[in-house]
Amino acid sequence: MPVGRRPPPAGPAAVGTAGGTAHAAVRTAPGRRRRTNGRFARADRLAPYVLVAPAVLIIAGLRLYPLALGVNFSFTGDGDRNGQNVGLDNYAALFDDPLFTASLRNVGLLVLLLPVAVAVPGLLATFIYLKVPGHRVYRSVYFFPAVLSPVIIGAVFNLLLAFDGPANSLLGAVGLGPIDWLGDPGTAMYAVVGVHIWATFGMGLVVFLAGFATLDASLIDAARVDGASLPKVVRHVVVPGLSRTVQFVVVTTMIGMLTSMFGLLYVMTGGGPEGSTYLPEYYIWFQQGQMSRPALASAASTVLFGVMLVVGMLQLAILRRSGRED
Amino acid sequence: MKRRALWSTALIAPLALYGCGSAAGPDSSEGGEEGTLVVWDWKSADATAESYIEQAKADFAEKHPDVEVEFVAQPFDQYYNLLGTAIQTGEGPDVMLFNGGGQLRDRTDALLPLEEYLAEDMERLAGWEAFSDGGHVYAAPVTLQGHPLYYNKALYEEAGLDPEAPAATWEEFLADCAQIEEATGADCFALGNKEGYGIQFFMSGLGPGILTPDEYDAWTAGDRDWTSPGVKKIFELWVEAETAGLNNDGVNSTAMFNDEFALFDAGDAAHVVGLMSDVGHWKEFGEFIGADNVGVMPAPLVGPEAAPVLPYDGGIGYGVAEWTADPALAADLVRSLTSTAALEAFYADAGAIASDTTIDASGSGPAAAAIVGQIPTGKPALHVALSAETLELMGRLSQQLLSGSVTVDDALAQLAESDGAA
Repeated sequence: MPVGRRPPPAGPAAVGTAGGTAHAAVRTAPGRRRRTNGRFARADRLAPYVLVAPAVLIIAGLRLYPLALGVNFSFTGDGDRNGQNVGLDNYAALFDDPLFTASLRNVGLLVLLLPVAVAVPGLLATFIYLKVPGHRVYRSVYFFPAVLSPVIIGAVFNLLLAFDGPANSLLGAVGLGPIDWLGDPGTAMYAVVGVHIWATFGMGLVVFLAGFATLDASLIDAARVDGASLPKVVRHVVVPGLSRTVQFVVVTTMIGMLTSMFGLLYVMTGGGPEGSTYLPEYYIWFQQGQMSRPALASAASTVLFGVMLVVGMLQLAILRRSGRED
Repeated sequence: MKRRALWSTALIAPLALYGCGSAAGPDSSEGGEEGTLVVWDWKSADATAESYIEQAKADFAEKHPDVEVEFVAQPFDQYYNLLGTAIQTGEGPDVMLFNGGGQLRDRTDALLPLEEYLAEDMERLAGWEAFSDGGHVYAAPVTLQGHPLYYNKALYEEAGLDPEAPAATWEEFLADCAQIEEATGADCFALGNKEGYGIQFFMSGLGPGILTPDEYDAWTAGDRDWTSPGVKKIFELWVEAETAGLNNDGVNSTAMFNDEFALFDAGDAAHVVGLMSDVGHWKEFGEFIGADNVGVMPAPLVGPEAAPVLPYDGGIGYGVAEWTADPALAADLVRSLTSTAALEAFYADAGAIASDTTIDASGSGPAAAAIVGQIPTGKPALHVALSAETLELMGRLSQQLLSGSVTVDDALAQLAESDGAA
């Protein structure tokens, strides 16, 4: 903390002078020099507060205060009981609602599917790094979906995965029965997550490629000279060298899955079929807008905030640990 | 030390106030302002509604030349979210558009009872029930929305059936469907239940052929027996239609808007429970299969004592916000928005069946004429009586019924519980 410590001469001093000018102008001429010195020291002391004030105020006024309002709102009622204190009723209703518990289960499913979402860009980046034929083309092609809006991607896959769409025609051509990709509660969530991974793995791929750039090529050459097979090179040289990159991709992919699936869900399934593709954020939107139960939606938001807090803490812990390893 | 704290407080305080100011949202001049009325809807930006809005504005300007009217067209898929936020903060538009039924009834707290202002229009307009709750009228109907059973006369002809004599009973209907499928390959029903709307249309479109008039009236009056044989039959038929292969494939992944209607438009299905106004209606179908090929038939009789009627309600209507500065002025705008001249323009351009019973619809083809002819005997649709929450549950359960993961009895028990709690 710089507060109270004697600051380095250049930066804060300049700020102090500028801040003092206005006051100096209204003071009378006698004693200006003496006072200037006093103000100088005071300005030095104040500078840190002034400098952190915008950040603190933005966080407090635009983040923490609304958050507190939202939590407070979640203890009030909807409809006839608008504005009344209802205690934990909303939370009881929430955990009684099969839609909400299903949405939390789907969060769990996303966590389980995380390794797949990380492995896809990891493997493809490895192939590009190992210069498979056409690797230059793949590098740009793989990134392409990442620049498309979820709404466009959702609409395209709606057509592809329609019951009478091309995906089922392909299956039919090889003699497999049609699958109602988005109409069967057993497959719909996987279909949406699959599309999400397809749409976003380009970002992870770029991070992986950046990680590969820092790998020591001589290590791989040495392993090859020693007669290591490709899988062994990957397992014992590439993966350990990339541990920090992998951890970073894990964290960002998890955040992406938990916070940016709304567009795809909205376009592809609308939470259905049978409520099988609800995620908490979709549930919040649905209760607030479609069911006009904003207080219940606030309660769901508070629960989601708690879930994200836990996930975020775990991720911070992972990142910190990886930082120590170096 | 103390002095330092004082100084920092003095410096930070204005910044803090500034921060609050920017967090307080847009200024509160929207609505309420002298001489300006703000209207929220999702229609006024449509080209087909242009002349309607012009007529309404002209009518209002004649009565109140000094008052300016500002129409704010919101995107429909976000409309109730935005409106919910406005209601929560207690400030927003003076006049707002609503869908009849649950969407309006869930928000009557934020609306002004209008019966004293609209007394003169009660006779001229139809469809008030969907905008009333607890003995009060909260909005004036603009269009009528209903669920006629449409059929494709060309497919009937191709299958060797008389297109002017559609089946009157469910058995005949099934036989006709089998004949059409064999001759043309078309499915019996076009059905999309991705959003869970399919069951609502099915219930309202075919329910009049299942429930007795007494059961029907009791249902719409709020006295609903979910375990009665008639109600159970509706859901059994829903399952039966799927298992008997009457529907197109992939019902649960087919969007009603507009994949279901596209199937009917393309002649891939012989029947569809459609709408009367806006979309999925006689005008749209007519553009694809020819206005003369669009037939409207009463629900086939399933229960022997049923007496099929056209199910319809007020479709969309304008209500007045409870927080408006001058309720009489806002109500006058609602009256202008439902004036005969304005509604005539809406009917002609948008192809909506307008709420005004004095408009002549005979020039719009046989289907529109058939619908308008049935309005005097029509009754409110079955699903419109249900709360938004029950409808949402019914949508989910209907998907489970199709996939076989819930039984009809179980679904009815859950619906009865939800309906009872509402």
